[in-house]
Order: sequence, then C-alpha cells, then structure tokens
Amino acid sequence: MSDYAPVNLSAPDQIEFELNRRRLAAPAGTMLVDAAYAHGVEVPVFCYEPRLGGPIGACRMCLVHVEGMRGLQTACSTQVQPDMVVRSDTDEVRDAHDGVLELLLANHPLDCPVCDKGGECPLQDRTFKFGPGKTQFVEHKRHFPKPLDLSSLIALDRERCITCFRCVRFSQEVAEDGHLIMRERGGDSEIATFTGDHYTGRFTGNVIDLCPVGALTSVPYRFVARPWDIKNTPSVCGHCPVGCNLELTEHEGHVARVTGRPNPNYSVEEGWLCDKARFAYPEDRAPDRVRQPLIRDAAATREVAIEEAVEAAALLLGRDGPHAFLLGPGATVEEGFLAQELASGPCRGALVAQLGLGDAPALAGLRAAPAAQLDDIDRADLVVLVGGDPANQQPVVELRIRKAVRGGGRLVSAGPRRHPLSGLGPSYITPPGRLLDGVRAAGPAFRAARRPLVLWDEADLAHEPAAAAELAGLLGATRGARQLELGADVNGAGLSALGIPGAADLVAALEQGTITTLLTIHAQPAESAGAARWAEALGRVGAVVALASHGGGIADSAAVVLPAATHREQEGVYVSMAKRAQRLRPGAAPPGGAAPGWELLIALAHRLGAAPAYRSPAATFAAAAAARPALAGLSYDVIGELGALLHAAPPATTNGAVGGGGADGTGLPLVTTLRIFGDAAAHRSDALSGVRQGAEVVLGAGEAERRGLAGAAQVRLQSPHGACTLPLRVDPRCPDGAVHATLGVPGAGVERLLAVDRSPVRVEVTAA
Amino acid sequence: MPQRHIVYLHREHPGDMAQLPEYVKAGGYNGLMKALADMEPDDVLYQLHRSGVRGRGGAGFPMGRKASFLPKDSPRPAYVVCNADESEPGTFKDREIMEFNPFQLLEGIVLAGYAIGSNHGYIYIRGEYEHQARVLDRAIAQAYEGGYLGSGLLRSRFDFDITLYRGAGAYICGEETGLLDSLEGKRGQPRLKPPFPAVAGLYASPTLINNVETLTTVPVIVAKGADWYATLGTEKSTGTKVFSVSGHVMKPGNYEIVMGDTSLRELLYDICGGFRPGHDFKACWIGGSSVPVLTAEHVDTRLDYESCETAGTYLGSAGCIVMDDSGCIVRSSLRLAHFYRHESCGKCTPCREGTMWMEKVLQRIVDGEGRMEDLELLESIMGRISGRVLCALADGAVAPIESALRLFRDDFVHAVEHGSPAREPMAPMGA
Amino acid sequence: MTADEIRGHIDPIRDQFAEGRSLILPALKFAQTEKGYLDGADLEAVGEAVGLTTAYVESVATFYDRLYLQPTGRRVISVCINLSCMLRGCDELLSHLTGRLGLPSDGGSTDDGAFTVQQAQCLGYCDRAPCLQVDVGETQGPMSLDDADALIEALRAAPTPDRLWR
Repeated sequence: MSDYAPVNLSAPDQIEFELNRRRLAAPAGTMLVDAAYAHGVEVPVFCYEPRLGGPIGACRMCLVHVEGMRGLQTACSTQVQPDMVVRSDTDEVRDAHDGVLELLLANHPLDCPVCDKGGECPLQDRTFKFGPGKTQFVEHKRHFPKPLDLSSLIALDRERCITCFRCVRFSQEVAEDGHLIMRERGGDSEIATFTGDHYTGRFTGNVIDLCPVGALTSVPYRFVARPWDIKNTPSVCGHCPVGCNLELTEHEGHVARVTGRPNPNYSVEEGWLCDKARFAYPEDRAPDRVRQPLIRDAAATREVAIEEAVEAAALLLGRDGPHAFLLGPGATVEEGFLAQELASGPCRGALVAQLGLGDAPALAGLRAAPAAQLDDIDRADLVVLVGGDPANQQPVVELRIRKAVRGGGRLVSAGPRRHPLSGLGPSYITPPGRLLDGVRAAGPAFRAARRPLVLWDEADLAHEPAAAAELAGLLGATRGARQLELGADVNGAGLSALGIPGAADLVAALEQGTITTLLTIHAQPAESAGAARWAEALGRVGAVVALASHGGGIADSAAVVLPAATHREQEGVYVSMAKRAQRLRPGAAPPGGAAPGWELLIALAHRLGAAPAYRSPAATFAAAAAARPALAGLSYDVIGELGALLHAAPPATTNGAVGGGGADGTGLPLVTTLRIFGDAAAHRSDALSGVRQGAEVVLGAGEAERRGLAGAAQVRLQSPHGACTLPLRVDPRCPDGAVHATLGVPGAGVERLLAVDRSPVRVEVTAA
Repeated sequence: MPQRHIVYLHREHPGDMAQLPEYVKAGGYNGLMKALADMEPDDVLYQLHRSGVRGRGGAGFPMGRKASFLPKDSPRPAYVVCNADESEPGTFKDREIMEFNPFQLLEGIVLAGYAIGSNHGYIYIRGEYEHQARVLDRAIAQAYEGGYLGSGLLRSRFDFDITLYRGAGAYICGEETGLLDSLEGKRGQPRLKPPFPAVAGLYASPTLINNVETLTTVPVIVAKGADWYATLGTEKSTGTKVFSVSGHVMKPGNYEIVMGDTSLRELLYDICGGFRPGHDFKACWIGGSSVPVLTAEHVDTRLDYESCETAGTYLGSAGCIVMDDSGCIVRSSLRLAHFYRHESCGKCTPCREGTMWMEKVLQRIVDGEGRMEDLELLESIMGRISGRVLCALADGAVAPIESALRLFRDDFVHAVEHGSPAREPMAPMGA
Repeated sequence: MTADEIRGHIDPIRDQFAEGRSLILPALKFAQTEKGYLDGADLEAVGEAVGLTTAYVESVATFYDRLYLQPTGRRVISVCINLSCMLRGCDELLSHLTGRLGLPSDGGSTDDGAFTVQQAQCLGYCDRAPCLQVDVGETQGPMSLDDADALIEALRAAPTPDRLWR
C-alpha cells in the first residue's frame, strides 16, 4: 500500500538535510520517512500510514539516528530540519530494525506458505531486507483460535496481527464507524468488534489493504491465488461517478480481486475504496452474464458466432430509419462517440441519447462557478452539502467530508432526506420543491466562511431551479467559494462532453412508433426512471439490438444481443463528476464470446459499410477529442495513470422538459433514496450477498399515523406514471410531509413511479 | 538526619488536617491568600522556578520550567492536572498526603492554576485509592463551601474548579500522556511527543501536569518563599522528599527527609530500624521498581537526585523497596518482569513483545528449566527494548532486571543451575 | 443497567468535562455497581448514555483491570503480589486464601458466587505488606493467615453491599 506520503521535490522552499552522507532536500514539514523514500531510501514502517492522520510512533520500526539527538528517533514523526544529519545505515540503526522485527516475529506464526498475504506481505519483505536471519525465540508462541470471520467480507487471523493499529485507526478515525477496536491491553491486545458482531460499514475492505500482514484478508479472495499467479492492472471504478482509482487482479482469466492502488490518486480517492467498488467484481461472472451472442426470433433464441450477430444487427440498422441509440450511464466516451459516428454516417439521422440526466438548464449557472476537486474538500472550512446522499451514492466523498470536519471544518447540509452525514453538522431537511429554504438557511454560514465549498447533487438540483439559482448566486458573490457536483451517472459527464442529451426526445419518438431499430449500449431503460413509460414505448419499436454485459431487461427480448465486456474488462475513458477524464484498463478479458463495446461498434460500422479510420480505443478517443471541443487536448497519453481534467464546458443540449414546475400527481411528494448495496451490481455479486440491501418505503411516524398506515406491513405507491408495492418502515426520525422510497433495487419497481426525466412526482400511499 | 514536614504538615499538628478548619488553623491557605493578594501569576511562576522544586512523580523535571513551557497566548483554556495515579511499586507517599493532608494538595493545585492562568484542575486518582478519593471528595466539597474553590474564591476575581476523576486500574495511566488519554475517555496509552502536554495536553489544550507531592509543595513555597525552600537540600535537589520504604526493614513507612542530608544507610538502619536479627541488606530499588537495583556497595549513597545518579540509579519516586539476604534477586526480577508485562499498554512493539519474552525466560530460569545462554538472551532482549520505545515503562522494566543481571550474576547462574522455586515465608516484621 | 440510570449518574458532572467522552470511566464504574461486572447490555447502555459506539466502550473497558467483563463473586478480594508484598509473603497469603476457598492457586471465583480472589499489582500499601483489598474498601495489612481466615468469616457474615463498587 501507499505507506509513504507523496513528497513534492520540486516545490519551492526546500529544506536541505543530510541522509546517509547524501545532501538532500525536501519541503518543510516533510516527515523523515517520506523524504527518505522520495530520495530512494526505504526506512521501513508498519504503523505509519499518513492517510490515517498524524503518526502514532507505535511499531518502532522506523528508528533512525539523528545527530545531536539522544537515542534513536522515529523517522515517521520527525520532520526534516535545515542541516539535520540523519543516518539510517549505522550498526545501531540496523540493530534496531533487526530487533523490532525479531520481536514482531517472536509471536508471529510461520504459516506464510498458506497465508494469502504471502508474497505481497510487507512483514515478509521487510524481514527479508531489514530483519534477522534467525530468531532466539524458543518459547511457545501466543495462540488464538484460527481465523475468525470479521464479516462476510473480511477474515481475521489474530495470531498474525502485529498490533500496528492501522485497521482500528481507519475504523475510528477515517470511516468513523467506530466498530473495529483494539481489545485488552499489552500482549493480550487483539483486534475485535463488539462481542463478535460483524464489522459492517461502507468502507470495511480498506482494512485489508491497510494490514501489513496477513491478519486481515479478503473472504472472497481467500485461498484463490498466489501472488505469482496473478496480474495487477491499474484502472478506475465503474460503479459511481467519483472515479476512484483502483487495481484489478486477474487470475485464471477473470478479475479475482479489486484493491486500492499502491500509489493512490490523492486528488480522487486517496487510495480508499467503498466496499461496492471492492467486492462487486463477482458480477462479471454472475449467472445472468451474457457470454455468447444471441439472435432471437418468434420461434427461438439461438447462440451464434459473433460475426453472425453483428451481421444480423447490421441488417436491422441498415434498414430505413430513423433509428435510435440509447447509451447507459456506464457507456464509455469511446462507445458514445462511436454511436454518434454511426448516427452521422451509415445510420444518418439516428437519435443518440443517454439514460442519464444529461444537461439540465437549471444547473448551468452552478456548473459555471469555480470548480473544486475532491481533495479541496479536505481544506474547506465550510462544506455545504445540498441535496444528495454521498455516503450511499458517491461513497468516497463521505470520507473526504469526515476528514474536513475532523480537521476543524464545518458541515451544513440541506436536502430532502436524512443521510449518514446529516449528524455531522446542522441539517435542514426540506420537502421536495422547497430546497431553496435549505439553501437560504445555509447562506449566512456560507458568507462567513473563508474557503467554503458546495457539494451539490445533480439529480436533486436539476428539478429545483430556484435553489440552484440561489446557490449559483451565493457562489458568485463569495470570494474563494467553489463547487463540486455530486453526479448521478457513472459517465454522465463523459457522455455529456460528447454532446449526448438525455432521453426525453428519444422516448417520445419511440412512443410515436417512428423508430425502426433501437440500439441499446449498456442501457436498461425498463429499469430506469420512467420504467413504465419505457416499457410501453419499447413495445412500439421495430427491433431492438442490445449491446449488454448482463441478461435481464432488454437483453431478454432484443432481437440481437451483442455480449459486451464490463467496465473491468475493457479499455475506455470515463469522465468523473469532477470532470476528470480517466482510463479504464481491462483487468481481464471478457468471458466466452463477449467483446469490448468499442470493438463491437467498430465491427458494426464495418458491416454497415462505414469503416472508421481507427481500430483501437486509443485512436477512437483521439478522434473524439479532435471532434469534440469539451475533450480538446486530451489523449490516452495525456490522461496517463492519474487522469486529466476537462477544461472546456460540455455543449448545451436540449433535454425536453427537465427543469422547474411542481410535482405531478396527488398525495405525498416522493423522495427517492439510493443505497450503496442496493443496486444491480451489489445484487449480482455473490461476495456482497451478506450486506446487500433491499427496497422499502419509509414514512415519518406522524405521516403514518395520519394515513392509518402505522400497522401496515406493505404499502402500494401510485403515481401518475406507475405503481409499485413495497414493505413499509415507520421511522420516527423521518420527516413528515414526504414519502421515501428506495430507488435502484432490482425488481422493486420504484422507477415505475417516476417520469423519464426524473421530475418530481406525488404518490398516493395505501395499505397493500 | 533532620526530618522536616513540608508535605506532611499533618504530622506536626494535633488536629485532623483532613478537616478544613484544622487545616486553616495550621496555617493552611496562607500561600493562596498571599498570592491572590500580593502576587501576579508570573510572580508565582517565578517562585516555583526559583525554588528549584523538581517533579516528585519519578522523572524529576523542574516544575517551574515545566510550567513555563505553557504558551501564554493560547486561545484554548489551560488546565492543571494532578497525577494521583500513584502505582509505582513500592510507592505510597501520595496516598498519605491525600488521606491526611488533602487541603494542602487542593491549595497547591489552585496556586498552580493561578500561576498558569488556568481555571480548572483535575485530580486523576487511581481507582484502587477509593478510600482516599472519598477523603478528597469531602475536602473538595468543604473547600467549595468555604470559598476556597469556585468562582471568585477568597473574594478575589479568580475562579477555580477542581474535578476528581477516578481511574480504573492501569499502571500506564501514571505516565502523564497515558493519564491524559484516560482522562479524555480513551484507552490510557501514552502519546507520541511532541507535542508535550504543556502545549497540547488535556483536550489538546495547554496543560500543566504534576504529581501529588509536587503540587502539595507549592503552598509552602509560595507562603515561605522560594529562597527559604531552596535553602533546604542540595543545589540540584532542593527541599524535602518523602521516601516510602518497604520490604525487609523493621519499620516500613513514609519518611520525609531533607534532600542530601541523609544517606541510604541512615534511612534503612536508623530511621527504618534496620533488618531482622541474623539478616542484612542485600539489594534495594530506591526509586520505585523502575530503576537499577543498588547493592550493599552503594549503601552510603546520599539521598538526592545527583548522588543516586552517581550510584548508577535514579531517585525516581523514592519508593524504596529493600531486600535482605533472605530474598532471591532472580525471583524478584521475575516478579517485576511479570508486573511490567501485565502493565504494558501494548502500543510499542519492543515493550509489548519484549516484556512478554523477558517474563517467559525468567520464569523458565526460576522453574529450574533455564539454559546458560538464557542470560545472554535476556541481555539481548533488553538491549532491543531499551531506548527504543515511546514512554518510560519499558525502560523501567529493563532497568531493574538489567542491573540485577549485571550486579548479581552469580545468583542468576545459580538459578539457571538449580532454579529458585521456594516461596518467601509469611513473616510480617516490625511495622 | 439502563442508559437512563447511567445518565442519572453522569449528567450532574457532564459540564465538568470539555468532551463528553471523559464520562466513559465514571459511567462504566457506575454501571458495574449493579452486578459487579459489565455485560454486553451494560456496555451498550454506557455507549448510549455517553454517546459512543458499544465497540468503543468495550475497547476502553477491556483496557482497565478494575472493570470486569466476566461475572465476579459478590465480594472481590485483590491480593497484592508485587515485589514489596512478595518479600513479605504474599504468595503464601494468596495460596492460603485460594486454598481455603477451593480456588485455583492463582485466583478465581467460588462456585457459590460469594467470592472472587484475584492477584493485584501494587496497591500502594507496601508499608503494610502483605496487603489485600476487598472491593474498593481501604486496603488492609499486614495480613497474617489468621487475619485472612477472620476476614473470610466476616465477609460471609456481612450483608452484600447495595452497590458493588469495584
């Protein structure tokens, strides 16, 4: 893992010091361990982990000699000083390293051959480099019963623990879930949860990366592979628009593990991952994975060779149009651009749209305000969170907000729902349509702050133009204020940069029965907002070609199914909500006959007689960057390992009806919520089966009482667009004046209540 | 060998000094009245500095210097914390002060608060001292009633509150930063320094933390003047010091003596009544258990900081544990190793693992299963602990055992060859 | 013990601490007085009263010797085993007490739930070695074996205290 903090050796005001007789320099305030590492000298550490806060100096591994100071010093807690003379290579220092390792190993079991950490274990590596060749320990080692399941995701082997406190500090001081603790004292110290409860949370898997030994290991990856039988590939996460950088581990042809990057992207995720990012990968081998091309007619569904399927798709798209191309939120920039190229070439006149929100006019003013990156949250003295629920929707943002608050910043939140961060500061819960009140309540604090930062939720603000305008006004009037969008769609920003609008016009065209063939690209319209209307509209299309990685929904009825790679299996570019273009790199090849979407779309163009000049994702992206001003100046090389920011704004598009207006229908306003483990990916991944979340309706106690629903187990929700039935939970802390329902849970059907453009609705609630 | 009563004033007064009127009758609160009437806080600070009084908890750091480290311009409130977690083996002096002279301690805390501009003091008392805690509860209540605590105390414009906080059984909470973490509601694990408590102590605020005996000295220094105080004792060891003497002497107990005036021999033979007939001095841990052991060779050492250092040990808490020639130095070492292993907080690797290992090796030797190479092994382990940890506990674990192994090597060799399983007999002596 | 009972104990002193977390030891010590030890529900109640996770409360509670997470006897006898007491025969005292109560030589609890005998580190009464402490009463010593026998009889005859301060 990261172990050492990054050091900017080209920053101004470097301090000169001496290390092992070399004259070196590092910025003021740099810890000796980090300065040494930046200059190629490894001072070994175990407890030091700069991302967990200040050093604790517990493991005593990093002792060095500092001239003029009595005894050895911990390099993790000693800052470089002008002309400081440091030695990490004296006999005394070597004896200290050797000694600490001998003591750490005294009670450490020698079960490395069957330990998952073996081969990628800091304790092994540092023993090899700095440790004793032999031990003098002849006593019985400390014994604990062998591995304990800390949760369905993490196994704990207490015998291997070296008491570095990293995992406990993560739980207490980074995730702040407070569940992972050190029990007992001295040599009896052990990692535990409260009387053996499962360690649950949104970020638990990070302790696996943090553990410098094999004490905390991944349950889904347990005994799967040895480090020399795997290949690691740096990529980015495709589960939300934050764009966390991660590493994919390939074993026997598929992704068998996801971890934080050894070199974190400090502008994005800082090396932390949410448990969905880390444990959703088994969805790539879920039973409903589309592994072979399919052709479906009235009589039967046939598995065919890819050439035949592409041919069949080309036939459907070669007919007279107009056609329509619908991109899911997880489609890459390359896939979006190739769809656009089809629409301007062989399928001229085809409508191209994205299932995501696209460009909402109400948000233009906000988006024009000075933009922040995720690491700016750390330094904000005030974070104003407007709408949304980042803990569930853009999870890693939660850790940044907690960090800001720990550092003395304040959080003020306003929005239609309570969420896990509401308790960190004043929170104004406003009914849908009244977000302006919440923004106004936060106004005075905002104006008084020196470095305020607004985190605003795209989906919530899109339909609150008054609140969006007020917020844009506040941002414009406050010096030093910045904003960061909490995006709704994984690659919504990338598809918008191409100029791809939302789907309002496309669904209307489908309804009119004028569309000959619909090509969906990673899109599941019948499981998205406006599901009822989509289902109806899809019945009026001539034919559907589905480019999809998983079955269910449209892939079960399409005339042609092109089996597609997932975001862990293909190259491409995603643009994060902070407008950072980042590269997906395939961690493994897609299974069976499946292929990357870009490859399938290029093949389709060939078949349609319009072969593009480019044959690779890099060249496709280069063509897109040349053709779309919002992507100007970008290339795979420019994006590199850590991504590159888009500098130009995306083109404005017309989206149909997204904007103000009151809620449709009668009854209570509907507030939708999303849950981190409540989406299709979490429900497909067997690793997450122990934590996956279902859908429910939540009413405040007063509201439930008033409507005679206090005792109801199930309720039916009816909006002008559709209906669904769900279990009811009455929560006294839930504000009255709205009904809350969980969106995104496969099969729950809350999407049916919504309009395609996700505009506000009211619902009638009745006992079911 | 003059005995003086500076912190043990109660021994000179006939009344019950744990009652406020008796304390006042004995001249109590003269220091505080003088300070509030005639002295600026800096004057009090200067007196503490000039008195040369050193921390009586064990480290011996000059109190005035410690107090001067507190930043004057901190936006956060400053605190006085009294370390009443007296847990050092062989040390029981603070117990007697708190039980029989509690008001002088309270007065000292208020004065310290006045000197550093603090309005709140905490006494962290070890949980086992519940009896003394109840005495302090009553004394604090009486002090509030009498206007010696609270807002505008003694009709001045100075406010001061004292909160008594009970520990729950952990030696490490006597280490000042472990104590602060415990008082903050955390596991009492020592903190990395810097920052020192003076800068970021309790609740990350400037904090003056001192031992009971040290703070109890303050009223006398203020009332009688630093110059008077400094005439007692030696140049570097001013004033008096309470020695808690226990073990194989005829009259164990607390003895307040003027620093440097008395030798260890006088303390043991004249003041404490010497040893049982037929037995004589063998070893002594003079500053609590966390210091190198002294042998008969050192018995003429004078009792002050610098003479103890010359003899190769530390005055420490002056909890003087004495063993006669019936005792076994190897069993004693094992007992101490067991103690430090039990009390290690577990934060630093060398302490957590090393104390466990030391105990295991010593246990084998005592059980008669030792190997001659175990003596070198012990030295090796101790070499890997000493000076490589965050707080003083592990160095305290090494000091008595490393010195015993060096000074009584024959005893260890004998134990390797024959073991040393025999229990000490029940033989209450003297007292 | 319930969170409300604990609040009743700590609320009056709450404003003496800049951070509420400091109330954890007073809360734990009080919660323990009901049964003489803390079970999971007690830790939860302390967490609720102080505003901390139960896991955190457990991590603190297990750090301290005088907070008990296993059932104890109605009276807890702590025999000091540190050096000063060892030199004056505490091992004999401990073995006499445990032998008399039919306990393992290093301590334990009697089957009838009347006594727990445990080893203690230095109790600060080295001038009265060998010494022992009953619950949080004043430490007693020097203890002869006869004194120990008399103590057991006296404790058997005495009523169980209302609150089991440990």
